[in-house]
Amino acid sequence: MPHVPPPSPDSPPLRHPRQAPVGHEEPAPPAPGVVVRVTQPDLARRAQLERSRGRLVIAALGFGTLFLAVAAKATWSTVVMPAEPKRLNAAVRALQPPAQHAASRAPITDRNGEMLAISLPVTALIANPRVIENKEHVADRIRTVLPQIERDRLIERLSGDRGFVYVARALTPREQQGIINLGIAGLDFEEAERRYYPQGRAAVHVLGNVDVDGNGLSGIERRFDERLRTERDTPLKLSIDVRVQLALRDAVSQAISDFSGIGGAGVVLDINTAEVVAMVSLPDYDAGDIGGATPDQRFNRATVGVYEPGSTFKLFTAAAALEYGTANVNTSSFDASRPIRYGRFTISDYKGKNRWITFPEMLAYSSNLGAAHMAATFGPARQREFLKRAGMLARTPIELPEAAAPLVPPANSWRDINMFTISFGHGISVTPLHVVTGVSAIANGGILRAPTLLAQPPGTVREGTRLISEQNSETMRRLMRLVVTDGSGKNAEVPGYFVGGKTGTAQKTGPRGGYIMNKRIAAFVGAFPMQAPRYALYVMVDEPTPNAKSHGYATAGWVAAPAAHTVISRIAPILGLVPEDPANPAIVAATEIPLQPGRPRAATASARAAAPAVSPAASRPAEPPRASAPRPAAAPEAPALRAPQPGPAPVQPRPLPRAVPMPNMPASPGSLPPPVPLRMTSADPSAPVPRREASLATR
Amino acid sequence: MMVFERRLLLRDRGTGVLEKLWLIPWSFVLLLCAVAAVGYVALYSAGGGAPEPYASRHALRFGFGLVMMLSIAMIDIRLIARLSWLGYLAGVGLLVLVALHGQVGKGAQRWIELGPIQLQPSELMKIMLVLALAHWFHRASWERAGNPLFLLPPILATLIPVGLILKQPNLGTGLITLMIGGAVFWAAGVRWWKFAILIGAAAVIAPIAYEHLHDYQRARINTFLDPESDPLGAGYNIIQSKIALGSGGIWGKGFLQGTQGHLNFLPEKQTDFIFTMLAEEFGLVGAMTTLVLLSLVVFFALAVALRCRHQYGRLVALGLGVNYFMYVFVNIAMVTGSIPVGGVPLPLISHGGSAMLTSMLGFGLLMSVHVHRDAEFGAARE
Repeated sequence: MPHVPPPSPDSPPLRHPRQAPVGHEEPAPPAPGVVVRVTQPDLARRAQLERSRGRLVIAALGFGTLFLAVAAKATWSTVVMPAEPKRLNAAVRALQPPAQHAASRAPITDRNGEMLAISLPVTALIANPRVIENKEHVADRIRTVLPQIERDRLIERLSGDRGFVYVARALTPREQQGIINLGIAGLDFEEAERRYYPQGRAAVHVLGNVDVDGNGLSGIERRFDERLRTERDTPLKLSIDVRVQLALRDAVSQAISDFSGIGGAGVVLDINTAEVVAMVSLPDYDAGDIGGATPDQRFNRATVGVYEPGSTFKLFTAAAALEYGTANVNTSSFDASRPIRYGRFTISDYKGKNRWITFPEMLAYSSNLGAAHMAATFGPARQREFLKRAGMLARTPIELPEAAAPLVPPANSWRDINMFTISFGHGISVTPLHVVTGVSAIANGGILRAPTLLAQPPGTVREGTRLISEQNSETMRRLMRLVVTDGSGKNAEVPGYFVGGKTGTAQKTGPRGGYIMNKRIAAFVGAFPMQAPRYALYVMVDEPTPNAKSHGYATAGWVAAPAAHTVISRIAPILGLVPEDPANPAIVAATEIPLQPGRPRAATASARAAAPAVSPAASRPAEPPRASAPRPAAAPEAPALRAPQPGPAPVQPRPLPRAVPMPNMPASPGSLPPPVPLRMTSADPSAPVPRREASLATR
Repeated sequence: MMVFERRLLLRDRGTGVLEKLWLIPWSFVLLLCAVAAVGYVALYSAGGGAPEPYASRHALRFGFGLVMMLSIAMIDIRLIARLSWLGYLAGVGLLVLVALHGQVGKGAQRWIELGPIQLQPSELMKIMLVLALAHWFHRASWERAGNPLFLLPPILATLIPVGLILKQPNLGTGLITLMIGGAVFWAAGVRWWKFAILIGAAAVIAPIAYEHLHDYQRARINTFLDPESDPLGAGYNIIQSKIALGSGGIWGKGFLQGTQGHLNFLPEKQTDFIFTMLAEEFGLVGAMTTLVLLSLVVFFALAVALRCRHQYGRLVALGLGVNYFMYVFVNIAMVTGSIPVGGVPLPLISHGGSAMLTSMLGFGLLMSVHVHRDAEFGAARE
């Protein structure tokens, strides 16, 4: 029992709280023997409590009623009248073309034969205004069958002094019968044809559209207009996989709405054949309603939008440095301890490390300074040459009329400052397709192939040009993987699929040049699975705004990388890739690289020590991921069932080179390295003599 | 505003912690644990059959909230009463802060970051408003409660936060706050006819206000009236929710077997539509069990109000009861398509820290009222 102190002398002689029976829920009457002295304020309070008690009871009744109402409604919706999902099968079946109809334009399908565009016979309603007497009366009667036509426009159309006008382009059989039943003289029907896009918005920017007479106006419809008219019986098979397309569209659209962006783009590329498996640009429009689309909706951000690629371009800088041999992934280091000042420009790092950094750290931490110094090792001329070979200076050879040329400095004014900024993706603007094509060449063993929208027969080996050596490609794969395991791309990881890539946040440029604060492009470019890449992808959000979900950031690591995660986790199973054990030592060994390779560390030392032991297993760690069990016959030509692509990616797990002490790494943050020339890592004896900007940069 | 006499506070200091612990309604604590357990199960399912990312955090937050609730229950209700207006001012301050510096999420400024936690001040404001109004009416006699001049300050005190919340813009929470304030007014003895006049006036103003609503708010009202009008846009949520409810039937599809939820047809299944998820997997039986548990929570608050011997505690208990009732009623009515969709969570069940912590804060205050139900303080003035 609780302790009850004796009543203090100044306590009023009212009922004491501790005299209430402890633990009782019910109000208890005053215990007999307790003196209750009633005062005037006390009476008033009691009256107040009495009144509010009445109102509380009413409140309880009200709550009870409302709870019962909700319960009744829940019962109604679960048991009494359950809502049924709409079955769409019937509608889909109706789109199969009638057997006897010979279309004047070939259908377009995706790589699995799914219908993307098809011409179907329709009936057009035509009129002879000269014959029609009472225009308004006739218009009203037509509108009883076709209420969607505006009355004024219909009257105007029937009023001209012409012998032939279209009233409606596509009548359903029921509407046709309705018009016949009206029995109006001067109306007639015409057999016509209409282009339908059963997948709606899914691939509008790829497919393009046709005019009312069936002439291709844009996209594939325009590019292959001739082919679609002449070979009208064979469908044109695109490399698009509509399932991947929808998943990509979903993820990009979600990322845009999460971060209140104004648009976005996404591309999925088969890394070995350069087939475009999915290509999305948002906002988009309904393919059947091109007239209702705004210019922004018609704009294909993936192939026409040219954007500064930002940090994604550091992959090209790194690849060029490896390919020219001007930097070594294990031994080189770069001065990121102080900004580079060049004329009126200052180059600095976003969240910089303020110290010397290694080659892998440049990518993992996305250091602008590291990239600039790295580019300085090979110089502007070779940078331009490399980017030219990577296809960055010309229009992409994609089969779309809408493909923009990149914005690049002219050859004669590609100076040192351009080299610096281009090394981290500023001062140059390319399309998303450029970036993903180049990155797939970097990751696929070094072969650059022209991206294509046409399905390639299974087993095709497409011609390409070598961009970097197979060994450098393997190093780049490890570096891309490092960005996802230890760097800015962590949010893109999908366990088991060994994602690799690079984030890139670029400030948008204004109409008068100059950067606009807080208007960014957040992009992620990557490939998976890194032990033997099969697909490259690119995801971009235009002008994301930070929110609580991204902890106030609107950078690519928070915006585009999570979207890439969503895309990969959804499409990888569709594409028949089976996840591997994320801790599989053979794959981990084939895809990892230490952040500071030159620094002997306990972890790397033990890894090296363990390497001989696992070498039999590690000699073939990089089998392409197993194809899934054969899927239903609905998709017989799915890429997953193809034999593993020949060509790149028989990854030889190169034993990591022995650690070499890195002379330029400061032992502790306190001791800065001695001043060294910028080309401190120049392994190339033919490297030109250090030039002016080098001293500028390290001043 | 030193309404309460110091000596009353001092006199009661002798009440030991042990005695207060004994007075805590442990059956109610058990009830809350049961509700949170339902939430854990639902979130486990919403997370695709894994404790991550929702269920484990839910359990953690509930544990934290439980400790907070019990600590608040120990605080003397008279001390809480003295701090009422201070809390109110803090709540309004946070609302102003969110208007100036808040995080923008889905087009509205609602969140504020305080260190590691994100707070939705409008949730906190509802509780602070209840405390402040209860304090104002604590000493109001029946005659005073009928005096329009006496009613003017509390009306202002209600309208200021409501206005700030509507400006965020958050129509649903603004209206709910208004109703909670109204409930306290009503329980304090404000006359029926005054409410009748206000409701009448609202009916006149509503069509005018509709003109000034945001497009998305209008879309919600319109799709409520006819969800089939836009099945792929704004009506999508309601239709999918109804399909999920209907596919559950009496016994449900079974734990982790709900196709609407697991195949992502159901939007926001871990927050607003968690009840639908439960109903799909556990059917009418599960839904009714949940509803009964939730209504027990509300009726407990009313029981505390009835049992309390001082007006302050009574009004606080009622206000907090109405607060939780509003969550439950609006959320379930929303997912069954009975009222327009409004983004109201189901605290203790759905995912979300702000609603959970503020609810536990409210329950802590409710328990403090219960523990100190017979405390002496202040009588009504003439």
